Amino acid sequence: MDSPHRYWENGTDRDSEANRMVSPPPVLFEARALLFLRQDEPVFGPLDFHLDRGEILLVEGDNGSGKTTLLRVIAGLLRADGGSMHLDGQILDHDSAQGRLLLLAHQLGLKGDLSPLENLRVAVGLHGCREHITPRDALRNVGLQGYENEPVRQLSAGQKKRAALARLLLLPAELWLLDEPFANLDREGIALVNRVIERHAEEGGAALVTSHGAVTFLHGQPRRLRLAS
Amino acid sequence: MKWIPRWMHELSSPPVFYRFAGVMRPWFMGFALLLTAIGLYGGLVLAPPDYQQGDAFRIIYIHVPSAEMSLFVYGVMAIAGFIAVVWRIKLAESVAMQSAPIGAAFTFITLVTGSLWGEPTWGTWWTWDARLTSELVLLFLYLGVIGLFHAFEDRRQGARAASFLVLVGVVNLPIVHYSVQWWHTLHQGTTVRLFGPSSIEGDMLWPLLVMMLATKFYWAASLCGRVRTDLLSIDSGKHWVRDLADREGR
Amino acid sequence: MRPGSLRAACAAILRRDLLLAWRRRGDIALPVLYALIVTTLFPFALGPDTALLARVAGGVVLVTVLLAMLLAFDALFRQDLEDGSLEQLMLAPQPLALMLGMKILAHWLSTALPLIIVAPVLASMLHLPGEAIAVLVLALLLATPLLSLLGAVLVALTAGTRRSGMLLALMLLPLCVPVVIFAAGAVSAAQTGLPWIAPVAWLAAALALMLVLAPLACAAALRIAIDA
Repeated sequence: MDSPHRYWENGTDRDSEANRMVSPPPVLFEARALLFLRQDEPVFGPLDFHLDRGEILLVEGDNGSGKTTLLRVIAGLLRADGGSMHLDGQILDHDSAQGRLLLLAHQLGLKGDLSPLENLRVAVGLHGCREHITPRDALRNVGLQGYENEPVRQLSAGQKKRAALARLLLLPAELWLLDEPFANLDREGIALVNRVIERHAEEGGAALVTSHGAVTFLHGQPRRLRLAS
Repeated sequence: MKWIPRWMHELSSPPVFYRFAGVMRPWFMGFALLLTAIGLYGGLVLAPPDYQQGDAFRIIYIHVPSAEMSLFVYGVMAIAGFIAVVWRIKLAESVAMQSAPIGAAFTFITLVTGSLWGEPTWGTWWTWDARLTSELVLLFLYLGVIGLFHAFEDRRQGARAASFLVLVGVVNLPIVHYSVQWWHTLHQGTTVRLFGPSSIEGDMLWPLLVMMLATKFYWAASLCGRVRTDLLSIDSGKHWVRDLADREGR
Repeated sequence: MRPGSLRAACAAILRRDLLLAWRRRGDIALPVLYALIVTTLFPFALGPDTALLARVAGGVVLVTVLLAMLLAFDALFRQDLEDGSLEQLMLAPQPLALMLGMKILAHWLSTALPLIIVAPVLASMLHLPGEAIAVLVLALLLATPLLSLLGAVLVALTAGTRRSGMLLALMLLPLCVPVVIFAAGAVSAAQTGLPWIAPVAWLAAALALMLVLAPLACAAALRIAIDA
């Protein structure tokens, strides 16, 4: 990703120039005794963990250990049965979470009848856009140049995933929740995901990444959170 | 939820309610049977025949308590449904969903007895009378709630979704009732005049009141039984159910 | 660009759904075709007596439009739920109720509006007099958004279930009784020369109320249904 664009714009202090001088507190996200039940049996938890700015946390666990559920709880799609979540020290709920975190799920949230470009424009309309980047730039950065106007349903699984990655590049959000971002991707695609995530972390964002396989990052190993099944 | 009295909070725990309902159920059922016997004796034997309708009016002792119960149960279901949607209390979900078949049954009885009553007095089995039509819509609403509940794989999720439908219905029911009345006056169908409550004599009235009380007790007994079974099946993996099974199985 | 403004978000959703509907324009024609077929069946069932057909025309067209809309309701959230768009919508920094309102508007424009456009044709096939047709169209313009809004709440409730067309019909019937009564009442009043403004005003009042309440209820219902 040798693009000159600045991907990361700090969400908390973008409003005034003066605030840029104050460095934000390092802890971006914190879960305290987070618990989720199904049929009164814990799917995961109680979990205590935190995520600093610029940090990548790898969530590991076997199938059915609750990785996806954990991400959906943090995203506010499921309601936790216990504990609390904090973003920047503020209690995280439906309203405060919105726009500050992004979810890349198994279902990518792309419309098959629309082109990648049209899909991205809808996302920008909903979330707004980072500075100095356009949907076209984002598609170029994930290697989808030439496919901008193809209907998404005609793309391969890997290309669809790349289109969803382009959305991450485009939208302003600090916390990324990536559910199996490496699935369906070739070696080059995996390297791309790594670059995108590390870039996000370098620019002060944080990512929670689930994987059931071994993951190697370019620079060092991220912290790991192991979910027992 | 600090404002909820302590005893209510304890009662909402499934094992506690299970025991409580088990103790109360025979009493409720006993009262229901006793009061039904008294009410029916009063209504069918002691009460004088109506000067216009003769003995045909006596179906009122089934029809009116059922009609009243069809609304009463809906009201209970709505309160329990509200608690289920807002606070997600397991017992409230169970009460709301287990009320639905009871309410549907009372609504059905109301329609059947209304129809049976209509034949000798109005000369027709069915008339698009405002009250009967509203009752029919109520039956559909009950069936929709039951259908939605069973359409979900997850019982508790189904209970919450169906409870939400119950609340939508609460807003809708009065609108249906008044619109049907308006529709009825617009179309000038068979003009039906049920006798007003004021014309009921004391001898005819007291068995009716007794029957209304009897149906309440029957409902309480029936609900206790249904919720007990439901709680057992929801909590089938829990310790208290396993302990219970061990004790009862001996 | 800054985090999406409300207007940009509304426009994005509306544009997307209309674009999707346009890409599948064949689906737009289906409810219209269905309404046409059902309306054609009535003269065969009732006989070609003009006076009789004219008397039932208003009600027949209304019920036909209602049933045609019922067929299309299932598509309102199903696709979005399956491809994950709905989750993305819930994560967006916009009020979910408003976004759903936009979806309902797009759905109304792509399913109900074509039905309203053919309604005069259907009504005149059944010999409804001209002035009553005007009232019928007016009643449909108020009744169909009401049905769309009510239907959306119920579709949201069934979003977590397996396919459930029949269930939706069962749930919608009690809710749509008042709508049918007032819409048909207006038409039959116009036909008999009575003032028809009162039922139309009732429909308008109900629509104003539901425009506010239904998207909120829809959002709440969807949060329950997706919670699995």
